[in-house]
Amino acid sequence: MTASRLAGWSVSLAVLVTVYPANRLSAQHASIGGQIVFGDYREVSSDLHYRGSGGGVSASFTYKKLGIEGSLASISYDPVAGSTATVSFKATQLDIRARYYITGPVSAEVGIVNRKAKPEFEAQSVGAVRAGVRMSYPLGVGVNMGLRGGMLFGSKFSGGGTVSGVGALELGLNMAVDAMKGRLRLTGDYDFQRIARTTGSGPGKADVPIQQALARVGLAVAF
Amino acid sequence: MRHHVALLAVLLVPSALAAQQVQNATLRRAQSAYDNLDYRGALALANTAQRERLNGFDRARAYELLALTYSAMDSILKAVAAFKEVILLEPERELDPNRTSPKVLSAFSVALTQVLVVRQLKVDSTDFVGGQGDVAIHFSVTQPARVVTRITGGAAPIKIDSSVANGGVNLRWPARLASGDPVPAGTYTVVVEATIGQNSFSASQPIRVTQGAVDTLPHLLSLPGYDYLPETEIPPKSWKPMGLALVYSGIAIAGTSALSSGDLGSASFREAGVIGGGLMAAGFVVMLRKPAPQPARGNILYNRLLREQLARRNTEIAQDNMRRRQQVALRVVPLPRTGGGR
Repeated sequence: MTASRLAGWSVSLAVLVTVYPANRLSAQHASIGGQIVFGDYREVSSDLHYRGSGGGVSASFTYKKLGIEGSLASISYDPVAGSTATVSFKATQLDIRARYYITGPVSAEVGIVNRKAKPEFEAQSVGAVRAGVRMSYPLGVGVNMGLRGGMLFGSKFSGGGTVSGVGALELGLNMAVDAMKGRLRLTGDYDFQRIARTTGSGPGKADVPIQQALARVGLAVAF
Repeated sequence: MRHHVALLAVLLVPSALAAQQVQNATLRRAQSAYDNLDYRGALALANTAQRERLNGFDRARAYELLALTYSAMDSILKAVAAFKEVILLEPERELDPNRTSPKVLSAFSVALTQVLVVRQLKVDSTDFVGGQGDVAIHFSVTQPARVVTRITGGAAPIKIDSSVANGGVNLRWPARLASGDPVPAGTYTVVVEATIGQNSFSASQPIRVTQGAVDTLPHLLSLPGYDYLPETEIPPKSWKPMGLALVYSGIAIAGTSALSSGDLGSASFREAGVIGGGLMAAGFVVMLRKPAPQPARGNILYNRLLREQLARRNTEIAQDNMRRRQQVALRVVPLPRTGGGR
């Protein structure tokens, strides 16, 4: 029942996009789409190494200088060969970014990241506030790219631990190619996070870093 | 010698106004006697004709015949006296210098200086916008006199000029009332009155003044000689998209490598490689494609300047048209005269 309803919505959306006048679409400021996600996750040491893939959805809205992006991805991570990890886990990651254009190619970005791992104790669930800068550049008609860098603040982990002021960094690369006169948008998004988490204090202090590289390839409908 | 001069006078003097014929029979006989060099007979017959009832034209011809005959008989004073009567009767009378003997011309010129007349009164036909032009009036006065020029025919006479003049006079009349408004349409008369003591002479010329609307100017759609330039231009193909994609991808991969924690082993470049590779592929395609038109800043500024100039000019035209709609176009045309001066 759910699958058929989803198919119905998809057909309705496709029809809407196809019959919607192109001139009306020229002022599009919003998009929604699906993504194929694959990533690389490491924690504590090189022995805890996972790779996985999954799917996700994304949405964006732009109004004048303000842009808001959100994505929800679900990745099933499996231990790589040679890893000491034996159990796969599923990570569900929510990313929200609010962007404000400053000047030239530069925009400021703030947002949140929240990643939950299941089973709960196979990997760390993380929540943090992000702030950074994005540089966007149009490569050509309907082709845009962006490079972003930022820091994560106030990181919280399911297993506890802290991060120094500059210990949580992220780097991103994204691209978007418009198709069908801007009605469809092919997107690619790379997101790298390095969180220098530590646990304990004093002589018992231990470095338990977390690192994730995530690639999202998606197709969005713009309207 | 005397006969030669008389013969020359006969040959060179124009026959009196061929268009209009002498009516009086006695005068015609006198003219015939003059033509046959019978000056005494011509004098007797002309004097006889003077005592008869003559119209203005015949009377002027009678005096002119007397003047020519006296000139032929070398009676210059009498010739001058006769020419004075001719001039008083026909102030506009002119002798053709190419067909008239110098002796006759001399007598005529002397006669002109001894009578007060206003001659050759002319009003130029003209069109102009009320308040921005004028009507040219020309005349000549044969003696130094107080000359007053007026326009009559309206509600009140309009004095154009009052001065002492002699010889040719050129005046300009702006065709305005004392209030500054253009004179109403209608028929007017230019009256020139010359006075020396008790002696006076006036000449007149009727004119017709008509009014019309002043033509307005059309608004401009473009400035002559200046065309709008295209506001976009297609730049030449450039490797810049590919280069930038390479740089951005390189930064992402290098950044990944730099930020990776050493404790977690070598970083995975698979994800960055996929996205960076896609970006470079997009950059390569864009590089090969025809570049999109880019705004041509210089042309845009030029067009803006042109539009501003055009708008300014049209504003001026609109203001000018507003002024023109309040203006009156005057046409002044001289009408045929009904009579001479007195």
